[in-house]
Amino acid sequence: MTMLRLSLVGVKRDLRAADVRALFVALALAVAATTMIGFFLDRIDRALERQAGQLLGGDLVLVKGSPFEAEIRDRLTGTGLKVIEQVNTVSMASHGDAFQLGSLKAVEPGYPLYGAVTLDRGQGHVAASGIPPANTVWIEPRLGQVLNLQLGDVLKLGQARFTVGAWIVEEPEQNVGFASFNPRIILNRSDLENTGLVQPGSRVTYRLLAKGPPAAINALDAQLENWKNRGIRVMDVREDSPRLGRALERSQQYLSLSGLAAVLLAGVAVAMATRRYVDRHLNTAALMRCFGSTQRQLTQLFVFQLAWLALAAAAIGAVIGLIGQWALLKLLVQFLPLELPPPGLLPLLLGVLTALAVLIGFAGPTLIRLKRVSALKVLRRELDPLPAAAWVVVAMASLIFGALLWLYSGDFKLSAGLLVGGLIALAVLWYVARIWLAGLLRVARWLPLTWRLGARQLARRRQASLGQIIAFAVTFAAMGLIALVRGDLISSWQERLPPDAPNQFAINIQPSERDDFIRALDGITDQRSDVFPMVRGRIVAINGQHPRDEVPVDARNDGNLQREINLTWRAEMPQSNTLEEGEWFGRDSATQAPVPLSVADRFAERLGLGIGDRLTFDIGGDELTGQIASVRKVDWESFQPNFFVIFPPGVLERYSHSFITAFYLPGNDQRQLGSLVKRFPAVSLLDIDAILSQVRDLLGQVARAIELVLVFVLLAGISVLYAALTASRPARAHEGALLRVFGAGDKRLARVQMSEFCLLGFSSGVLAALLADGAAAILYAGWLDLDPRLHWLLWIVLPLGGALLIGMIGHLLSRPLRKQAPMTSLNLLGEE
Amino acid sequence: MSTTSQAADNTKAAATASVLMARNLNKEVTSGERILTILEGLSLDVVAGESVAILGSSGAGKSTLLSLLAGLDTPSGGELEMFGQSLAALDEDGRARLRAGRVGFVFQNFQLLPTLTALENVLLPQELTDSGMNSSRGREWLERVGLVERMHHLPKQLSGGEQQRVAIARAFVTEPDLVFADEPTGNLDRDTGQRIADLLFGLNRASGTTLVLVTHDLTLANRCDRQLTLEHGRLHERQPTEAGL
Repeated sequence: MTMLRLSLVGVKRDLRAADVRALFVALALAVAATTMIGFFLDRIDRALERQAGQLLGGDLVLVKGSPFEAEIRDRLTGTGLKVIEQVNTVSMASHGDAFQLGSLKAVEPGYPLYGAVTLDRGQGHVAASGIPPANTVWIEPRLGQVLNLQLGDVLKLGQARFTVGAWIVEEPEQNVGFASFNPRIILNRSDLENTGLVQPGSRVTYRLLAKGPPAAINALDAQLENWKNRGIRVMDVREDSPRLGRALERSQQYLSLSGLAAVLLAGVAVAMATRRYVDRHLNTAALMRCFGSTQRQLTQLFVFQLAWLALAAAAIGAVIGLIGQWALLKLLVQFLPLELPPPGLLPLLLGVLTALAVLIGFAGPTLIRLKRVSALKVLRRELDPLPAAAWVVVAMASLIFGALLWLYSGDFKLSAGLLVGGLIALAVLWYVARIWLAGLLRVARWLPLTWRLGARQLARRRQASLGQIIAFAVTFAAMGLIALVRGDLISSWQERLPPDAPNQFAINIQPSERDDFIRALDGITDQRSDVFPMVRGRIVAINGQHPRDEVPVDARNDGNLQREINLTWRAEMPQSNTLEEGEWFGRDSATQAPVPLSVADRFAERLGLGIGDRLTFDIGGDELTGQIASVRKVDWESFQPNFFVIFPPGVLERYSHSFITAFYLPGNDQRQLGSLVKRFPAVSLLDIDAILSQVRDLLGQVARAIELVLVFVLLAGISVLYAALTASRPARAHEGALLRVFGAGDKRLARVQMSEFCLLGFSSGVLAALLADGAAAILYAGWLDLDPRLHWLLWIVLPLGGALLIGMIGHLLSRPLRKQAPMTSLNLLGEE
Repeated sequence: MSTTSQAADNTKAAATASVLMARNLNKEVTSGERILTILEGLSLDVVAGESVAILGSSGAGKSTLLSLLAGLDTPSGGELEMFGQSLAALDEDGRARLRAGRVGFVFQNFQLLPTLTALENVLLPQELTDSGMNSSRGREWLERVGLVERMHHLPKQLSGGEQQRVAIARAFVTEPDLVFADEPTGNLDRDTGQRIADLLFGLNRASGTTLVLVTHDLTLANRCDRQLTLEHGRLHERQPTEAGL
């Protein structure tokens, strides 16, 4: 109890000490960063869990590219499930001369099985009862804006006309995430035929939504497996609780990891501040030993003191985290069509745990010195206990940080990989930064006095400088990389496109209108790709075996095995393709058995396929087997229609098909596109520029959310600077005072310190540019198939920006030091 | 109390020029709620070229006096001039500029910058005078203190005696008008202290610099032209008969 009281008194008194403040700030930041992300992700997870059935559209959902057979529906209703059918497709919607691609959902009475559609009929929001009446559509307001529609106006879909009956405010079943680019149109299932949009080969998905007690679904288990094997996609609320879209799921991971980056930096700050804290308390500890304190009591005292500090920091950090998660939510709200439950307690607990873990991991080994102090130190000042070995500090911190990684990611392999990779990267960075500092020292002699002194101090205070340079370099690099991904990536992709690359795709061209459409197209542009027939088929066997058993383990859940893929036929190889292996079709290919196939290189690689492998497709209920005769290298960035699998002519013609082509329309002339849409209402035009700009918007939003987290990372980096300043305070005060003694004025002193911080920022910036450009090169070459290039702007902005930022912050933080009279800080003239 | 210098046979041309002048100097510090008077009505004149030792027991206020004379601290009252310039009229920066290049220091605990090599430490005062760096001068001075072969070593790689030799080279490198020395042998063993004292006085004589030395070591004090004792906040001239030589 005494120790508890003593520790409280001690911590209160200590709050004025810079090292305790640095410790406090670092811990609070670590907690703020983790709770912010924790609160946010926890709310999304709980929302998904609660609204699983609603988001999925039912407890059981079957999806297929063709109409469901009656027996399937009967089988479902037979087990006591309530079943409705829904048909989704994408089509042009037009009003007057204006047109826009819309995402159609044709529904039956009974829709929705869960939740309700919220509508606005001009008299406030109401929950819809039932579905749109015949010849009426409900649409999203943004479609109304684009097409300049009012309630009661006529909207044209394919060959049918509809009255706009209501605006959709909210619909229960949605694709969570970034899937639904196009504004929603809900119509009555019975009207779908009249639109003429459902044609053979058009991109239509049929969904059977079922609702019922778990027992009824359990009874279907064997049947579900059977259906899955027949190519029906089965989504089951028991296992397929809806997940966020891939992009959002990725960004979730980025958020978590960047949050942990803040924790890591805060940890470094804690470690630095603790060194000073321990130095300051060694005398107290020795005195207490003198008065008979046991090691145990000493440990208790300091553990309690720091625990108080951690708790207070956790409380403040959690409040900041709460505010932060609210900001995150604001940034991502349009991609989260969910009703979020209020923030829970779990992230708060995790935050406190994080603060304590950081304290133990990053301060623990250093604190042990306090316990080891000898009572004799009271008499002999130089008798300090040895500092903890560097490897012990690093090992302990790595262990704890690894555990935190595991805790937050829930993925042991990933955590171990990140930890080991991170340690290796750190070692490399450490080495590079050392070389840099050594170089700086050599260059220093040629610099003007102020910079010379700053450079020397930075380079010779090596251990502390290295820690700070690396902390800032990593932070700046992350920020630079985000900026690159956001801006440079898309623009460099666009730049690489030939100026006359197609800017429109035309899909769903029916055989009957093919020639007319092409003629009309050729009338408005002379830049058009070949016209490719398109047949949809699903891979049902590879070399006679179930596809899952024949592909590499990591490709077992590949989308190409789950759904129908587009197939085409051609006599000549497409222009943007080159033969990589095997032989292109001969004259009698169509009559060969099995039929020769040509596959794209990436497709073959991903599924582990090669020449001679046999693929069996289910096309409209028929099975068709072919054998790979050639592998093509495909230029996916050509923006030409490309196909994974090409058949020789004379095989696929008997199946229902449509055509696809791409074309370049100068200036994306809306009037000419409008007249095309009017003449060929069933053909869908995809505006590539619009899609690219949507992608850019999405990336922008996600990037902003990650940037928000990076602000915390940067703050944690600044806390490292603060802690380092605190640790080096006595040394800096001494230097400053000596410079004063020898005649340096206040201004010069400030300039010398500023130059040191600027050089610190500059060095971090150079290293960050190296890191970011290196990472970008790997990203470009490895994942994006872009040629790596030097981003010279990065090499200017990061070093200069770093110098400016760190220079200013350092200048501000070291201000109190400069305000002291030389005598106070120097304490140099003996003992009086 | 006034202890006006009578040293007239100084070799320097400006022999009678006042380098330091203090009149009625007071210094009080607050300790808790008590006000401690350290210096009270102290007066002093130091003319160019002389060497003055200030003696006093521990706690007498020697170092406080030195810090005031050097303009490192401000007095609570009284007048103070350095090189004929009133220190009260100058701010912290002004005092620093006045010192730059004209005042050298040797401290008890050496006070070398740990991040600079021996040579860089020696060159520092010279660099701060804006006259630029002349590294051959620094090398020359290190040679005079016998450390030229260690000029690229950092302070932590040097012994106490070596560090003090670097400090002495640093004090003289700008050929200052005035050198303050605060217990320059206080942290050294006797033999090393003796050698350091020889070096300090030898260089002082050779360059004709004014030296103000604070010490409690009589032997050291007796090597100066004048000895003053600080007692109860004032200075008293010591009689030569008390000399330990």
